[in-house]
Amino acid sequence: MPDNHRIAPDWSALVSEHLRPLHLPAKEQQEVVAELAAHLEDLYEEQLKNGRTESEAHQKAMNEVVQWRPLARNIQRAKFKEGITNPRTKQLWLPSLVSLATAMLSLMFLTLLAVQPRLLYAHRAVTMLYLPWLAALPLCGAAGAYLSRRAGGNRLTCLASGLFPAATLLVCFAFILLDSIFGKGHAATLSAFLVFVWSWVFIPGTALLLGALPFLNARHQDTPATQPNEFPRCDVK
Amino acid sequence: MESKRIRSKISRGSAELAILALLAEQPLYGFEISKRIEEKTDGVLCFTLASLYPMLYHLEKRGWIAGRWEANCAGRDRRVYSLTPAGKKELAPLRREWNFFFQALDRLAGVTIA
Repeated sequence: MPDNHRIAPDWSALVSEHLRPLHLPAKEQQEVVAELAAHLEDLYEEQLKNGRTESEAHQKAMNEVVQWRPLARNIQRAKFKEGITNPRTKQLWLPSLVSLATAMLSLMFLTLLAVQPRLLYAHRAVTMLYLPWLAALPLCGAAGAYLSRRAGGNRLTCLASGLFPAATLLVCFAFILLDSIFGKGHAATLSAFLVFVWSWVFIPGTALLLGALPFLNARHQDTPATQPNEFPRCDVK
Repeated sequence: MESKRIRSKISRGSAELAILALLAEQPLYGFEISKRIEEKTDGVLCFTLASLYPMLYHLEKRGWIAGRWEANCAGRDRRVYSLTPAGKKELAPLRREWNFFFQALDRLAGVTIA
């Protein structure tokens, strides 16, 4: 059959049929099928241009994928699972959650043990300090900063992860203050807010910072997948 | 050419670097990427469809490359990938780390071409 009369294979139908186990949103799946079909089409036509017969060209294109099921799995993993733990999640949110959880759990543990806070009086204001908690906070800050750095976070994300418990408390106090001003919550004055910020944000924040500091000056670590002594997941012939 | 191909795992680690370095030169679509890599490495590195696209989607998900549909010179729609600013930022340390890796391997096993 002359070339101008040949019927090109329906690559879209073929890819669509083979990638049936792919579980992606419809639009994304269509795009993947169209893209892979275009690749096979280009390869097939290149082979024909190079003088191969239609069946040889078809075979060459089909050799691109030995097993479709692992390909579908790899595409799905690349497009979907990576999205759940994207770099921002790994570098900021998960380490922040760890530092917040450890800080709050240690405080809860101390209160369960009936550890009494130390009250310091100065200028008619009282500062309430849980000294054992403050002593534990550098470890919480260090945990957040370390995890962030290990996931490839830069200095700012390491710092944010380490100080996240203090930042969370600051936001909580700000909401209470706003509620007392504009809402019907408990009456809180600005001076009370400042005392709370001093006792629960600034001093704990300093303790968290002490723990995070050693990880802020360390060399930027790349994500594990791009470290040169590891071999990523891509199969190269 | 066939005998030059590296079949061991050692070739796998180069995949990200190869794609990012190629896209740093100009935007390309998948078939062009695989062809360019094969041509530029004399067939030592050779991506099949099954190895290339999961890697492209992985790099895209990480925000290092971005794909958009464009008509190629034959008027057919192809998904063209280009390096993002984040990808450009990632390429320099990646190159440096691979350089360290090869230097270390050279000191250890003398792999430099004489």
